[in-house]
Amino acid sequence: MSKEVKELVKTIRPGLSLGEYGRVYRDTSAFMKISYGDVIELKGQHYLVLRDESERSFGIEDPKYWVKRCIHLESGDRKILKLVFHEKFTLKLGDLEIPCYRSPRKEARILDLVRGDKRFMQGQSCHDAKGNVVRILDVVRGKRLDHCVFEIEKGHRDYFFQDFPRILGKFMDSCRAIGMLHEKREIHGDIRRDHLWREYKSGRYVWIDFDYAYEFEESPFGLDIFGLGNLLIYLAGKQIYTAANIERIIGERRVKLEENDFSLLYRNRIVNLRKLFPYIPQELNLVFLHFSQGAEVFYETVEEFLRELEPCLDIIIERKEGWS
Amino acid sequence: MNYKKILIAADASENARRAVDYVGRIVGRSPGFEITVLYVIRHAERDLFPDDKSWQARKRHEKEEALHVLRELKELLSTKGLERGTLSTDLLEITDFSIAQAIMDYQKNGGFGTIVVGRRGMSKAEEFLFGSISNKIVHYAKNCAVWIIE
Repeated sequence: MSKEVKELVKTIRPGLSLGEYGRVYRDTSAFMKISYGDVIELKGQHYLVLRDESERSFGIEDPKYWVKRCIHLESGDRKILKLVFHEKFTLKLGDLEIPCYRSPRKEARILDLVRGDKRFMQGQSCHDAKGNVVRILDVVRGKRLDHCVFEIEKGHRDYFFQDFPRILGKFMDSCRAIGMLHEKREIHGDIRRDHLWREYKSGRYVWIDFDYAYEFEESPFGLDIFGLGNLLIYLAGKQIYTAANIERIIGERRVKLEENDFSLLYRNRIVNLRKLFPYIPQELNLVFLHFSQGAEVFYETVEEFLRELEPCLDIIIERKEGWS
Repeated sequence: MNYKKILIAADASENARRAVDYVGRIVGRSPGFEITVLYVIRHAERDLFPDDKSWQARKRHEKEEALHVLRELKELLSTKGLERGTLSTDLLEITDFSIAQAIMDYQKNGGFGTIVVGRRGMSKAEEFLFGSISNKIVHYAKNCAVWIIE
């Protein structure tokens, strides 16, 4: 088998040398076995596996054995191959536990839907020899947006007036992208900070990873909208604020916090940011409060969310002068 | 609207049974009432299943369960003194997202003057994330009374 891969590499990409030559897989069902030096063949195209993808959570590297970093031998392009892994797991949001399902079928469908829309990761899907839906993804060359924001070396006020308006404008376009999915009866399913990236070259924001599916009672978009709210609050604050870290952030100033100032789901996170930063316009803060424990009315659609968020951009720009 | 024409929105939950029981106690043995117990199924999305076979099996199970629940609820109502001729059940399978909307459309098209729905008391966070059928009906139902049974 090693010989087969060696020959393939020699023929298609002669400049490439490998430490180890594995085997060629046309059936990807046993994805745990597929590793460095193996080649995945899909519809006559060859993908040399470099490594498994992994996610860092709580400082620990969590390997995703079903996601392979590859080189497409025919073009030399880097690709990510997501193999079929029908996982059911529990998503924990604060105290709530939500049964979630990993759906290759859903992600493949959305890839078709968003083809050419640069607000989403791009790729295509293809069946392997056993009918598994493999997603072949372009690598997003960039960085998590939350990390980009966190690393801006400015105090909050300067960040808020100098950088946040530009970020908010682009973020609203990312929200419109999710609204477009909803209009087409699709959900992202896993809107978290690590799933919105900023491309290095274009500066564009790109949604990644839409293979989560879950059951709901009446509102199919609630989870996505909650994710957007969380992201917005992070971007406006430049980080997360909790009762434990605000002293370090705001110094000697005294702030009286109440239960209703905290997130509806993450009960230690402050969402009433205006209490920490009084220059945040009331209008924007009211949007944040829709995600607080004190909220009585919830956004049901991205359109409703944006209707209240969009005017805030001009308000921040107008206030900028007054605070500088 | 004829308020004596009552639509009970049911599912397999204990809340639905409580709603049916309540209606039976309130209107049982009173003349002129007409009651329909409606079960709306929005089948689980195909995305949640690894293959067609397991999805179809789940759909079959959901339908069988719904029919079984409807039979039981009809039986329950008939023990409250309601005549069988005034009782009916219906099963609606929808593909749209909103069960509440399907119930309200059914109410409108059938000329029901009262909608009865059970509520399971969800937290604010659950309501935000998953939505609440009963809340939606309370907010958007028109030209009818709405009874929420908790």
